[in-house]
Amino acid sequence: MATFLETRGVTKRFGGLVALNRVDFELEEGRIASIIGPNGAGKTTFFNVFTGLYVPEEGSVKFRGHSLTGLRPDEITTLGVCRTFQNIRLFRNMTAVENVLVGMHARVNAGFWGAVSRNPHWKREEGRLWSRAAELLDVVGLRDRANEIARNLPYGDQRRLEIGRALASQPALLLLDEPTAGMTQGEARSLMALLRKLVNDLGLTILLIEHNMRVVMEVSDHVTVLDHGEKIAEGRATDVQRNPRVIEAYLGRRKWTPRAEAERA
Amino acid sequence: MDLELLLGIFPQVLIDGITLGFMYALIALGYTMVYGVLEFINFAHSEIFIVGAFVGVELLLGMKASGWLDTLPWVVVLLLILAAGMAVSGVLAVIVERTAYRPLRHAPRLIPLISAIGVSFFLQDLIRLVESLWRNAFNLVYPTMDALNRRFDITPTIDVSVKSLVVIVAALLMLWGLYSLVNKTKIGKAIRAVAEDQPAASLMGINVNRMISLTFLIGGAMGGGAGVLFGVQYSLINPYTGFTPGLKAFTAAVLGGIGNIPGAMLGGLVLGLLESFAASYLSLLTGGAFGAEYKDILAFSILILILIFRPKGLLGEVVRERA
Amino acid sequence: MLRLRRLLEQPRAATVIAVAALGLTAWAVSRSPRSVVLFMLFQASIFLLYFARMPRALKILVTALALGVLMPVLGTINAYYMEIAIQVGIFVALALGLNIVVGLAGLLDLGYVAFFAVGAYSWAIFGSPQANLIFGGDRFPLSPWWFFAFLLVGVAVAAGAGILLGLPVLRLHGDYLALVTLGFGEVIRVLANNLDKPINITNGPKGITPIGRPPIFFAPLLRAIGIEPNPNVIYPLYLYALVLLIVGVTILVNRRLEDSHIGRAWEAIREDQTAAQAMGVPLVRMKLLAFACGASFAGAVGVLFSAKQIFINPESFTFMESIGVLSMIILGGMGSIPGAILGAAVVTVLNLQVLKGFSLWLNELRNAGTVILGYNLANLPTQLEPAKYERMVFGLILVLMMIFRPQGILPARRRTRELGEP
Repeated sequence: MATFLETRGVTKRFGGLVALNRVDFELEEGRIASIIGPNGAGKTTFFNVFTGLYVPEEGSVKFRGHSLTGLRPDEITTLGVCRTFQNIRLFRNMTAVENVLVGMHARVNAGFWGAVSRNPHWKREEGRLWSRAAELLDVVGLRDRANEIARNLPYGDQRRLEIGRALASQPALLLLDEPTAGMTQGEARSLMALLRKLVNDLGLTILLIEHNMRVVMEVSDHVTVLDHGEKIAEGRATDVQRNPRVIEAYLGRRKWTPRAEAERA
Repeated sequence: MDLELLLGIFPQVLIDGITLGFMYALIALGYTMVYGVLEFINFAHSEIFIVGAFVGVELLLGMKASGWLDTLPWVVVLLLILAAGMAVSGVLAVIVERTAYRPLRHAPRLIPLISAIGVSFFLQDLIRLVESLWRNAFNLVYPTMDALNRRFDITPTIDVSVKSLVVIVAALLMLWGLYSLVNKTKIGKAIRAVAEDQPAASLMGINVNRMISLTFLIGGAMGGGAGVLFGVQYSLINPYTGFTPGLKAFTAAVLGGIGNIPGAMLGGLVLGLLESFAASYLSLLTGGAFGAEYKDILAFSILILILIFRPKGLLGEVVRERA
Repeated sequence: MLRLRRLLEQPRAATVIAVAALGLTAWAVSRSPRSVVLFMLFQASIFLLYFARMPRALKILVTALALGVLMPVLGTINAYYMEIAIQVGIFVALALGLNIVVGLAGLLDLGYVAFFAVGAYSWAIFGSPQANLIFGGDRFPLSPWWFFAFLLVGVAVAAGAGILLGLPVLRLHGDYLALVTLGFGEVIRVLANNLDKPINITNGPKGITPIGRPPIFFAPLLRAIGIEPNPNVIYPLYLYALVLLIVGVTILVNRRLEDSHIGRAWEAIREDQTAAQAMGVPLVRMKLLAFACGASFAGAVGVLFSAKQIFINPESFTFMESIGVLSMIILGGMGSIPGAILGAAVVTVLNLQVLKGFSLWLNELRNAGTVILGYNLANLPTQLEPAKYERMVFGLILVLMMIFRPQGILPARRRTRELGEP
């Protein structure tokens, strides 16, 4: 059986800069995994390769046996991979529920003429879309803010909305780019609870990029560490945090380790 | 196809192409300098350009009426109208920047562009209004200066009008002047710094706003000078004459690499030559099916093709995609 | 002004004020048909209806009466008003079309008039003897009944042109997209001006005439009720009715698209095209759809335009017209349907009535030799014709709106909906 998500030898260059250097990666279904690494390690670039924003110079990306390299982002979303962005990229002047509705575009079963003629089939589809949007907003806890303009939402809610929007396309694999950035520990914890729920109840697989080590330790089944575009370690969270190469990559000082940081908080 | 005819007109076509090319280059400089500094297309530059032409014609008509046109040597006359045209256009460009662009500097990109289009249209009719009130006419003709209409023999078989030579020489001087200014003076260095990296330049103590205004002043002056030369060369001007050469000059700027000063010069020359050849040979080569009027389509098609296939132009750097 | 708005929110007061305003101004115009100001007040009172909080059915009835009865009556009294009403209708349709491309999808199309031209020329060529020059023989013009079919042909041809334009510009952003569309518009204009050889397709700058008009198929009906159908009287009303019909369909289609997954996808593209694509929106397909859709409205009214004018030439389809339509939606509010309608009405009235009225008034003063502050107005330059200063109007609108109110007079309002109901 094909691995859920795997990359082999993915290399991405920008001119002379090698952002990703022959990265091999595997992800099993039904897991929550994290990618960590110092700033500039290539984590978001890695996501961009998964989602079709970048085409790798070398290597392959396979999702459930389909090759993703060379596909357009919207095609990849249709296959079941969806993401959030490091800097929130909501549709700022649209309402929360409209943001979620757009996320469903890949799954809409009606066309242009349906919209113009408002035939019964279109009306049923629209009804389905709106009720599903309401459910998704429930899941991320934003139901009562459905009609608010996205840019007016508080920061934490915006991050949740982005997740809700990404869920709208019914992905099998959810890629979250620093979902807890800027959150308090309390907010981060409830987000982690949400992620756990998504995996357990909806059968999602989640891949995170994270800097918040506490979150990484608590929620990840598997951790991969990137530095300067290369994979330098991977394994269970507890193993990775003791890995000297990882420690060195972050600060190079023995006093500070990811574990100490997690224990201090 | 009459090969002898084709070859016979070649020198004239070449000279016309070079003259036209330098004119496009001068106008293109205004577009490219502003784009280099602000990443903004100054749509109104075509009107800044034609204002120069109007300043020139008004001065000439005034000189003719007062008899000065006959007494002063033509070089002096030319220098006077060039200086006046450049000054007025330069100042106008700065005024436009202060009133219509600066308030919008931090708005999403389409907003200042729309404002620039608005300024362009407004200026067209403003010129019309001013000329209607002042002279009760806005289709104006440059008074002839006999000295310029003489023809000058380069070789026994090829001759060229003094007018064309004057335009070429004047343009070359202005281009050389600009090049020196931008590359050899402190101010030029400051402008280049602002074009490279605004925040860093500001941190180095450069008054960014002043440099931007200066860029508009210089670019506008180049355009104004080109306007005067345009009037001298083609004689007939009206407030709407600026639009097409403006668009073509913008094409030239993009062709050479928008934001790149030598690129603007190169692009102008290439476009001028292409257009001159198209105008003269297209009709002959196609047996009259496609006449000289199609030269405009040539420029527009080049614009479309370049923006689609090679937006960085011949000499430009890769244009950063603004998401 | 604010008190008026507040008053309009009381249903009973609103109904009374709106209806009274309509009635009063209409009556005043009928008594004084040449007064430009009074007619503008009448038009303003129609707009008042938009703000008045009246029961929906009543509002629709009153609007229908205003547009369907009062306006045609006034138009019969002064034919120029009918002309204005038809022009406003044409520009409303154009503005709504451009609104889809610029307002919803965020693609700054500066060559929109090309689609208008394509529609107009399609009927002009086949509804006049021009096609004989292309195909030889004597089969053209087509019978006037073909006009109705050509309304659809115009839509199809313009939509095709929209796709042709859309294909190469798909990957372009902002400024570059605008410039390429500008170039495209200019290419169409130059082609229209020059395609008179080797085959005479457009008859170049001389234009095409005479263009056929739709048949007065209801003539027997009129005779039956005792009205003798005089074409000069009937056609303005007939064309006005057609314009209203087309505008009505345009508004309906626009509203339906706006409030559907298509409209939301377009708006997402406008907001953040990369994020939209990452969420599954197929950029190529949706952008082409926007171009084709926006173009199709222009194509339809283009056909109507050439039938109305009987004569068209490339002068009607220049960059100025493209910018004119753009200024209408900028004034009214990008992405807003009521905004597009208001913008189109205001700008058209400004050009056709205000500027022209100013011109006429100035001429009267000139002829009368009126003296103001010691200056004899007879000395005013003859070249000074306010009616020609449309560009100044467009230019001022664009600049002032961008600086002071970029969202327009009637900005697009987000649709809110109670969740739990579809």
